[in-house]
Amino acid sequence: MNKQAKLLIIDDSDVIVEMLYQFLKSKNYDLVSASNGLDGIKLFNADAEGFDLVITDIVMPNISGVGVISILKNKRPNLPIIAITGFGEHPESLAAEAHADVVLEKPIDLNILNQHISDLVRKNSTYQSEVK
Amino acid sequence: MHTPLIGVSPEIVKIRELIDHVADTGLNIVITGETGVGKEVVSRVLYQQSPRNNKPFIKVNCAALPDGLLESELYGYEQGAFTGAEKKKKGKFELAHKGVLFLDEIGDMSLPLQAKLLHVLQSGEFAPLGSEREIKADTWVIAATNHDLAEKISDKTFRADLYYRLNIIKIYIPPLRERPEDILELVNYYTEDFITQFSNKNIKKLDNKTIDAFLSYHWPGNVRQLQNTLKRILILGNGKEIIEELIRGESDFPSSSKSNIIKSTNRAASTINTSYNFDEEVTDLSNFSLKEIRKKALDKIEKDAIQFILSKTNWNRSKASKILQISYKTLLYKITELNIEQPSSVINE
Repeated sequence: MNKQAKLLIIDDSDVIVEMLYQFLKSKNYDLVSASNGLDGIKLFNADAEGFDLVITDIVMPNISGVGVISILKNKRPNLPIIAITGFGEHPESLAAEAHADVVLEKPIDLNILNQHISDLVRKNSTYQSEVK
Repeated sequence: MHTPLIGVSPEIVKIRELIDHVADTGLNIVITGETGVGKEVVSRVLYQQSPRNNKPFIKVNCAALPDGLLESELYGYEQGAFTGAEKKKKGKFELAHKGVLFLDEIGDMSLPLQAKLLHVLQSGEFAPLGSEREIKADTWVIAATNHDLAEKISDKTFRADLYYRLNIIKIYIPPLRERPEDILELVNYYTEDFITQFSNKNIKKLDNKTIDAFLSYHWPGNVRQLQNTLKRILILGNGKEIIEELIRGESDFPSSSKSNIIKSTNRAASTINTSYNFDEEVTDLSNFSLKEIRKKALDKIEKDAIQFILSKTNWNRSKASKILQISYKTLLYKITELNIEQPSSVINE
């Protein structure tokens, strides 16, 4: 890959955002973060084609992660999205129904997360270049 | 009729922005906030801004109907489904097909009906009472409640799975006292509205003194109370006493202590002992009627609650009556009737 992959992180917990930010920065990703669903969608819309992947929490103020996934997938059906949840099975199954590509339960193993990110980004860039 | 969402506060601006982003999604929404803040207004704005605005908007108040009736209202029934079902009736879910079903007071829905609602939301299908045929409905569900649903989940009176399914989008409308900058906007809007509605009456706008009273009042009944108060002043013309009431109410209720009292009151309300000790209270079995017990138990709870609030307000009866949401006169009557005595340690108002 020539350019850094651009990721959007949406989570209402500063601690989680900071942790993901530090870790993914060290893996050389270009990062943008938001603390709720609405801000996440606004940031996404500001560069809709520019993002390679979105990581979103599920239980959040205003637009939940499930809402974020539905709205973003509606705009860009092939956009890879990883959902992170800490709240039992209900939101998880909803995240899957909303077509999150991967659903991870907290506490997350950062290396596994990183593996998913690289797989999804690689798969999607191959798909994009095939489409082109 | 177009129902706008009035306000200039950052909270209302944010809600408008949120509506702009979600009105075309058809995702389930829960609108929360105290009574009178405008939950139905928000639901109607969502509907008006959605591609469904040329289809029906149907409202059902889940607290207003007993269980069986609510079920038949929502899902309809076949002829002969139960005694009195003389002909087939379509339910609100079916009537709201392609449109919006606004479920007000969702927090008051019983657990069995919650289970049925969850099934409909999961499958998009339901069967009218007395029918085996499942009907598909493409209905956008917007629910509203003044309850804390998360709390109801821990009390086991609301299903967590239904909560998550409904709560895809959350819209919280703060009470009016937390966004006083909206008061003037609301006054102007409703004044204009009344001028149009009651064109035969020469409606004069509020004078500055009244506007000041409006701005400093804490509006426990929120926008609905403001609208009613304004109507009473502008149209019914009994303005003077209302304004005095507002001014008096506010001076008795300083804003610094207001929120603290409300917080501690809410906490206390749940801790007041509602149990009834039969051994202690019932000495004569010849008087053991349920009616009598009920009265005694209610009196006891009322007495505890009033005593508690009076102690919190340092026996300021006017403040206490506001918190208890009863008139000053009723409070004085209750104090006498329930034999509530002022402790000697309390300095008089």
